[in-house]
Amino acid sequence: MSIGGLFSRIGRSEAASGLAMISPPAIYAILLLAAPLVTILLYSFLTDGYLEIIRQFTLCNYFGPCGTYKMVEGELVQQAQFKGAWSDPLFLTVMLRSLYVSLGVTIATVFLSFPVAYFVSFHVEPSKKSLWLFLITIPFWTSYLIRVFLWKVILGYNGVINSALLGLGIIDEPLQVINYNVGAVIVTLAHAYAPFAILPIFVALEKIDRSLLEAGQDLGESSFTTFLRVTLPLAMPGVVAAVLIVFIPTIGDFVTPQLVGGPEGRLVANLIQLQYLKLDNYPLGSAMAVSAMAVVTAVSLCFLFLNRRFLRGPQS
Amino acid sequence: MTEKPTMPGPTMIEFRDVQKYYGDYHALRGITAEIRAGEFFSLLGPSGCGKTTLLRTIAGFESISSGVVLIDGKDMAQVPANQRPTNMVFQSYAIFPHLTVAENVGFGLRREAGSREDKARRVTEALEMVGLKGYGARAAHALSGGQRQRVALARALILKPKVLLLDEPLSALDKKMRENMQVELIKLQRQVGITFILVTHDQEEALVMSDRIAVMFEGQIAQLDDPETLYRRPKTRQVADFIGTMNFLPAEVAAQTNEGYSVDVAGLGRCEITEAQAPGAPTGGPASVGFRPETLTILYEGQTTSDRVSEGTVEEVVYYGDMTYYDVKLDGIDTPVRLSMRNLPGRPVLDIRTRTRVSWSPGALVLFR
Repeated sequence: MSIGGLFSRIGRSEAASGLAMISPPAIYAILLLAAPLVTILLYSFLTDGYLEIIRQFTLCNYFGPCGTYKMVEGELVQQAQFKGAWSDPLFLTVMLRSLYVSLGVTIATVFLSFPVAYFVSFHVEPSKKSLWLFLITIPFWTSYLIRVFLWKVILGYNGVINSALLGLGIIDEPLQVINYNVGAVIVTLAHAYAPFAILPIFVALEKIDRSLLEAGQDLGESSFTTFLRVTLPLAMPGVVAAVLIVFIPTIGDFVTPQLVGGPEGRLVANLIQLQYLKLDNYPLGSAMAVSAMAVVTAVSLCFLFLNRRFLRGPQS
Repeated sequence: MTEKPTMPGPTMIEFRDVQKYYGDYHALRGITAEIRAGEFFSLLGPSGCGKTTLLRTIAGFESISSGVVLIDGKDMAQVPANQRPTNMVFQSYAIFPHLTVAENVGFGLRREAGSREDKARRVTEALEMVGLKGYGARAAHALSGGQRQRVALARALILKPKVLLLDEPLSALDKKMRENMQVELIKLQRQVGITFILVTHDQEEALVMSDRIAVMFEGQIAQLDDPETLYRRPKTRQVADFIGTMNFLPAEVAAQTNEGYSVDVAGLGRCEITEAQAPGAPTGGPASVGFRPETLTILYEGQTTSDRVSEGTVEEVVYYGDMTYYDVKLDGIDTPVRLSMRNLPGRPVLDIRTRTRVSWSPGALVLFR
C-alpha cells in the first residue's frame, strides 16, 4: 500500500488519526519514563550481588537486614550485611529532612511567587504582560548548575553577603550560618523554581473575570476582603499546581544539596546516588527511590484531597 | 409603555457638570441631570457614548475628573464603591463561579448584622422573589443565562440598595427571554420600589421599561424625557434617528407665526407647525422635518380622509406578519419615505410598483433645526 493510501485510511477514522497523532510521544514516554520506572521497581525486589544483581525475589531492600551475596558453586554466600531502607535510621532521617526541605522550598516559592504573578496579572498593562513573563524566564537562560554556583558565590565565606556586611561594619567576621546548610538549600531551590510557580498562578489569575472583583466591592467588601473571598479561592487551582510542580521535583534534587547543602544538607536523592554510584547497591538504591516516590505521591494526594473543593471542574 | 402613574419623588441621584477624561479622551462632557427616587431610569445611546461610564461613576468604579455626583443628597467624591448605597447587575452577571447559588445571593450579607437563620431566610426570600425557589444548593456555574441574571438580581436586591444599577443586563439573552425579563424587571421594580438605572443600547428596551430616558451621544445627554415625548417630540435629528425609524425631508422655515412656524417642505408643500412640534427651537432658514412611518396611511380604493393626501409609487415591501413596511416614492420627492401599516382584514398587501395615495397630517411632523 502506498504511503498516501495509508494516510487516507488513517484520516478516515477519527480514533485512528487520534492514535496516530499521540503515538510518537506515547512511545517516547513509554521508552524513557515507564520502562526505567518499571526497571527500578523490579530492581528493588531483587537481591544485591557482588558487581551483579541476583535474580532472586526479596523484600529485604525495604524492610529488615539484607545482605550482599555471591554465587559460589550454585550456592548463595553472604558477603556483607546492610539495613533495608525503612529499617535504616539514616534513610528515615534523610527522608524526613528531604520532606522538610521540600515543604520549606514549596512554601517559600509559592508565597514569594504569588505577589509576582498577582502584580503581572493585575497591575501590568496587557500589552506589557508577555514582556514581563519573558523577563521572569531570563534566569533559565543560564544553566541550572551555574545558577547554583552563583548562590555559592553569594552565600559563601568570602561571598557577596559576607563581604557587604563586613564592609558595612555590621559583622566582624564572615557569617558561616548562611552557607552549607539546609537554609542555603531552601534559598537556592526557591529561586530556581520560582518561574514554575509564577506561571501557573499567573494563568489562574488571568482567568478571573475582573467584573467578579468589582462585584465583590459592589456587595460591600473592601479590596482586601474581596481578595480573600473572591481572588484567592479562584486562584487556588493555580496555587495547587504551583505547589505540586515545585514540591515533586525538589524532593529529588541532588545537585543543590550537594553543592550548597554541606554535610547536614544532604537529601534523599544524594543517598540514592550514593547507593547507585559509590556503593554499587542497585537494589537498595532502587528501594530507596521507590520509597521516596511513594512518600511524594502520598503527600501530593493528601494535598490534592485537602484542596479538592477548589479543583472541581465547571462540569461537576 | 409603563402604565405606572409617574410619581415625581425626591431627587435620588444628581449629576452636576460631571466631566471624565481618560487621558486625552473626553468620555463625559458635562453631564447635569437628576434621577428621582423610585424611578425606572434608562441611559440610552450607541456604544462609546459614555452611558456605561456614567453608570460606573454612580457605582464608584470610575472616579470623575470634575463635577459632583450626589446620591440621596450626599456627595460621593470620597465614598468608595463598597460603601455606596448602590448595587449593580453586571453585564456579564459576575456570578462567583466557586460558590453555590445561595452563597452568591448571600455574599453581601456577611457584613450585615443578624443571625445565620435570619440571613438564610433572607436568601430564600430573595431567590423566591426572582423565581429561583429551590435553586440555592446548585453550583452557580451550572445555571443558564437567564438564571444567572436572576441570581445577579437577587444578590443585588437582597441588600436593599437605594439604587439598583443595571449594565445592559438583557443583552446576552435571546429575544423571547429578553422580552419576558423586561416585563419581569418592570414588575419587580414596582414591587420593591427601588430606583432602577438601566444602561442599554436597545431603544426598544428603553422605551418599554423606562419612566424616563436620557439619550446620550459622545459623552453628553442629548435629550432627557419620558418615552412618549422622546418618541414623538425628539429634539434633534440624531435623537430622532436613534429612536425608532424616522423619515426626514428638507424644509425651509418661511415665517414664524403666533402658534409656531410656516414651513415649506420639499414635496409636501406649505405646512403649519406648532411650537410643540419643534422642540429643538429652530430659527429661520434651512431646516428639516421628520415623521414616523406610522403617521402615514395608505388610502385604499374608495377611502377618503380629511388629512392631506400625496400620491406615489410603492418601491419596496417588507412583510412582518402583523405589520407591513412600505417604501413609497412620493411624487416630487427624490428619496422614498418609509411607512408602516397594520395588516388588518380588508387591507391587502400592496405589490411593488403599485400607484397609491398616502394620507398624512402636518400635526404629526417634527421640525428640526
